[in-house]
Amino acid sequence: MSVLELKNVKRRYGAVTALDGVDLEVAAGSRTAIVGPSGCGKTTLLRLIAGFETPHEGIIAMDGRTLADGKLCVPAYRRGIGVVMQDGALFPHLTVAENIGFGLSRKDVHREKVIGELIQTVGLGSECLSRRPHQLSGGQQQRVALARAMAMKPRLMLLDEPFSALDTGLRATMRKAVERLLEAARITTILVTHDQAEALSFADQVAVMREGKFLQVGKPRDLYMKPASRMVAEFLGDAIVFSAPVADGFAQTPLGRIAVDMAETQENARIMLRPEQVILQPALQENDATTTSDELMGAVSGAASGVVSEVEFAGATSTIAVKLLNDPDRPGYEVPLVLKGPGIEARSVGDIVRVVVRGTAHVLQ
Amino acid sequence: MRQTLASIAGALALAMIASTASAQDDGILVYNAQHESLAKAWVDGFTKETGIKVTVRNGGDAEFGNQIVAEGANSPADVFLTENSPAMALVDAAGLFAPLDADTLAQVGEQYRPANGHWIGIAARSTVFAYNKSKLTADQLPKSMLDLADPMWKGRWGASPSGADFQAIVGALLELKGEQATADWLRAMKENFKPYRGNSTVMKAVNAGEIDGGLIYHYYLFGDRAKTGENSKNVELHYFRNEDPGAFVSISGGGVLASSKHPKEAQAFIKWVTGKGGQDILKNGTSFEYAVGKDAESNPALVPLKELDAPKVEPANLNSKKVTDLMTAAGLL
Amino acid sequence: MQIAAGLVSLLALVPVGFIVWVAWQTGWEISASLIFRPRVGELLWNTGLLLFFAIPSSMVLAVALAWLTERSDLPGRRYWAWLCVAPLAVPAFVHSYAWVTLIPGFEGPLASILISVLAYFPFVYLPVAATLRRLDPALEDAAASLGFAPRLVFLRVVLPQLRLALCGGALLVGLHLLAEYGLYVFVRYDTFTTAIVDQFQSTFNGPAATMLAGVLVACCLGLLAIEAAVRGNSRYSRVGSGAPRNLVKARLGGSTIPCLSLMALTAALSLGVPLATIGRWLAIGGAAVWRVDAIGLALGQTIVLAVLGGLLTTAMAVPMGWLSNRAPGRLQRVLEGTNYVVGSLPGVVVALALVTITVRVALPLYQTMTTILLAYALMFLPRSLLSLRASIAQAPVELEHAAASLGRSPVRALWATTIRLAAPGAAAGMAMSSLGIMNELPATQMLAPNGTRTLAMGFWALSGELDYAAAAPYALVMVLISLPFTWLLHVQSKRMAGR
Repeated sequence: MSVLELKNVKRRYGAVTALDGVDLEVAAGSRTAIVGPSGCGKTTLLRLIAGFETPHEGIIAMDGRTLADGKLCVPAYRRGIGVVMQDGALFPHLTVAENIGFGLSRKDVHREKVIGELIQTVGLGSECLSRRPHQLSGGQQQRVALARAMAMKPRLMLLDEPFSALDTGLRATMRKAVERLLEAARITTILVTHDQAEALSFADQVAVMREGKFLQVGKPRDLYMKPASRMVAEFLGDAIVFSAPVADGFAQTPLGRIAVDMAETQENARIMLRPEQVILQPALQENDATTTSDELMGAVSGAASGVVSEVEFAGATSTIAVKLLNDPDRPGYEVPLVLKGPGIEARSVGDIVRVVVRGTAHVLQ
Repeated sequence: MRQTLASIAGALALAMIASTASAQDDGILVYNAQHESLAKAWVDGFTKETGIKVTVRNGGDAEFGNQIVAEGANSPADVFLTENSPAMALVDAAGLFAPLDADTLAQVGEQYRPANGHWIGIAARSTVFAYNKSKLTADQLPKSMLDLADPMWKGRWGASPSGADFQAIVGALLELKGEQATADWLRAMKENFKPYRGNSTVMKAVNAGEIDGGLIYHYYLFGDRAKTGENSKNVELHYFRNEDPGAFVSISGGGVLASSKHPKEAQAFIKWVTGKGGQDILKNGTSFEYAVGKDAESNPALVPLKELDAPKVEPANLNSKKVTDLMTAAGLL
Repeated sequence: MQIAAGLVSLLALVPVGFIVWVAWQTGWEISASLIFRPRVGELLWNTGLLLFFAIPSSMVLAVALAWLTERSDLPGRRYWAWLCVAPLAVPAFVHSYAWVTLIPGFEGPLASILISVLAYFPFVYLPVAATLRRLDPALEDAAASLGFAPRLVFLRVVLPQLRLALCGGALLVGLHLLAEYGLYVFVRYDTFTTAIVDQFQSTFNGPAATMLAGVLVACCLGLLAIEAAVRGNSRYSRVGSGAPRNLVKARLGGSTIPCLSLMALTAALSLGVPLATIGRWLAIGGAAVWRVDAIGLALGQTIVLAVLGGLLTTAMAVPMGWLSNRAPGRLQRVLEGTNYVVGSLPGVVVALALVTITVRVALPLYQTMTTILLAYALMFLPRSLLSLRASIAQAPVELEHAAASLGRSPVRALWATTIRLAAPGAAAGMAMSSLGIMNELPATQMLAPNGTRTLAMGFWALSGELDYAAAAPYALVMVLISLPFTWLLHVQSKRMAGR
């Protein structure tokens, strides 16, 4: 059952429409990520859910109770929704302990104990309790902010780009830690981020947002592999897109005949491949067998020849541009494919390679 | 940085020197404790007649008296004008006045100048009890200034204790009744009176009925009536007479400082002020102070000086230091 | 630079040293009898009463107005914000003059407190409004999400953040209350400052005046100490990075009319009353009160004093502003602290010290422009220093290095970078000092060279003779030349907050 339900939520700022009819359902105990470029309205949406702002139209309901319906609006402080802001928003005039205990009753006899438990839960030592926010590192501040929000035992937790201020290494660790924590506490979570990798790895459900609307909502894997549009596809990762006729579950592409996820026949379909589906193999010698073991197993399809036009070595990975060697039979694909491969596979400019495709390609609508 | 600083400092220094020099060029400097408007009328008249330029620094009697003493022989002032005698006595006691020319002294009656001729009366004013007509009737008025010490007057009268005028009156009281009586009276006053700053403010309060009466000088009422009368329409003056300390007539003084670098011009100024030109300004102007020149007449609107039955007080004996000490001890300052 | 800063600080210590010296010369017994007497008790009571009621009232009023102009959807809040600063253009004694002539018999403690609040609340309003403007709204959102109603959010999150601004503003108000002369003379309320001037007028530079000054200095130091204790050493800077969101303005709804009324009432009392009264007296006086030669001369002298004083103050602030940015250290902190302490001393005390010292030991400086400018510099140094320091901080030394590496000689590098960048701040500091000098009264009266008559002196002399109509043009001119400076202050505070 869903904890949070949004129906046709709209919000304007003067002439600018920030949210243009958003629908969303968030299941209990799940993790949802809202991802989109900056200015797409994702933070506005979060603020509407938190109750910091009111929608002009539409319904926001939690656990069946209406929080806002365009006329009425339950204020933030009566919603019991936890929020962790972009940079923590710790109260600079209070100590860490006072920050964590801010939402707890001052008369609560267990107050100290709860604060002590929470600081441990978020993985900080109790020596931090007497410090002031500015004495903590960015990561520590975010942990305290999380502990502060968790102290209220919210049903729903909103995270507003909480990891964006952290540096790359810390970011992944923090994300993992927060994920585990919220999972253990069974708190339903909504994360707002502009980082698609973060969204995909964090959430059970990802909503891609652009210009105040959801382009697509779904499971991370579905969204990545089967995006509804080129826009979604390219927002979530690199994509190779070309037009090709489709028939009988196969597309005729510059890379050869490739299996697709559509059975119908279509004269001019738009086919999307993720670069990691494209594999480079050494070019076949004249006298080699015409099929590889992979092909025999049916794991790969298509086959074309290409010449390596550019190599950029970056340690663990290297980026390789491959220009297809045109077969007069097939429509040309002039733009080089940009692929990522393991850094240990040494390729050099001018190498002739065989290009095959792993898995099925996705037909965009 | 250093160069920039140095040039700023240099520019400032130049500006200061220039402005200092321009403030004290030729002409004489008068330390004026008299009313600014009266002093201005005198200065304008004098300059017009003689062409001698006069710079005026305005302040209070006691402030300037003490200031001249502190400055000693280095005083920049050439002439000192006061509203009352004690400050003149103070400067004279320090030996800082030059004797006045005999023909200047001859212009003013002996009762209005000290015997040693070191300074001279330039005007006079009488102590009065200014009262609100609707608050007090003639029979309710105090018979003597000393009556104001009575508890029945508590909260009903006012004065301006920080002013030289009132301090001169206290000086007369000290001279007439002695230290103990004065100290007692000041202590009682502290209990009874309401303090104001400036005699005009006292009169304004009387007019508004904030207090029944106030101990001030006579001319404030006349001056106000010559303008709008707004602050005096309910006010009447009560002259104590009977040689009461409250009938004290205070002599405004003028003197030439011994340290003056322009003694001729300074002497000429005092001569002019005590002569016809200066005394006529008292008669015709809006100061309403009494003229003290031998043949000079006061403004006809005033009660003649002779009818006031003032106590005889030697102006040179008025001790301003003792007065401020007693007033400080009484908590009035 | 060190030496220059040290010299300035030594100069700044002169007034305090003077009081100690006089006390020592006078001898303990006489000093004690002048300090521990009922009159001093009375003055302490009066002064305490004033501080106790006027400071908190100013704080409450200023916070309410600042919240309305910065955080609510009050109609016309941009204009109201300016009207909240504008009362500073009216010298305190003109406020008082207006009230006293409007309501005869308006005097005593209540009148003093009311007029003090109206004259000085902008000193609290300015920093509080600036802080409210740049306060991170995420903190308020966070508190709301933790279950706090708006009222509680304000009490527990916003108000504590305002502590620094409130402390600074309240201190400024307190020091002005202690130093103000003219305001309290009009409403017949005796404070230490008025009593010192009385003593000065009765005895010139007698020990009684100096001992009163000693107690007054103790009061100032007490205020400084209280402020330091309340302020604490906490930092309230914004934690974390990222641009703060735009503020959401609170909707007043049905409270709009009462809130507008509060604004209008404040503006009417703090601006309307003085301007209307000046207007009324001008109407009564007619053309006769416009003695253009006298007013013009006073205006000229006032401007000369204000400009020269402002320049000197800024020049004296340069070494300290420089050191505190480029070579901070313990010595620098001590030196800087000295300047602030002296800047908190009332003008009468500084003037009393300089009069006595020049007449006794430095006679060539006696009654000269140099001395009065020096007094102004000592009194207004902190005003210059504050904005100069902030603006030098905007010009990191790296810029100078960069200019040098691009082939500029050291002096030209300095000119091209630091001086250019610090100039607006220095100008603002100078404007602040000049504004203070233009409206200064007691020190000017005591120290000015012979023949000097500033607008404030002219106003004072005429209103002292109850010639309120003749005083009105002086008041009007003072307000008019002060207005641009207050406008500058308003704009500057907005810009600082917008950083």
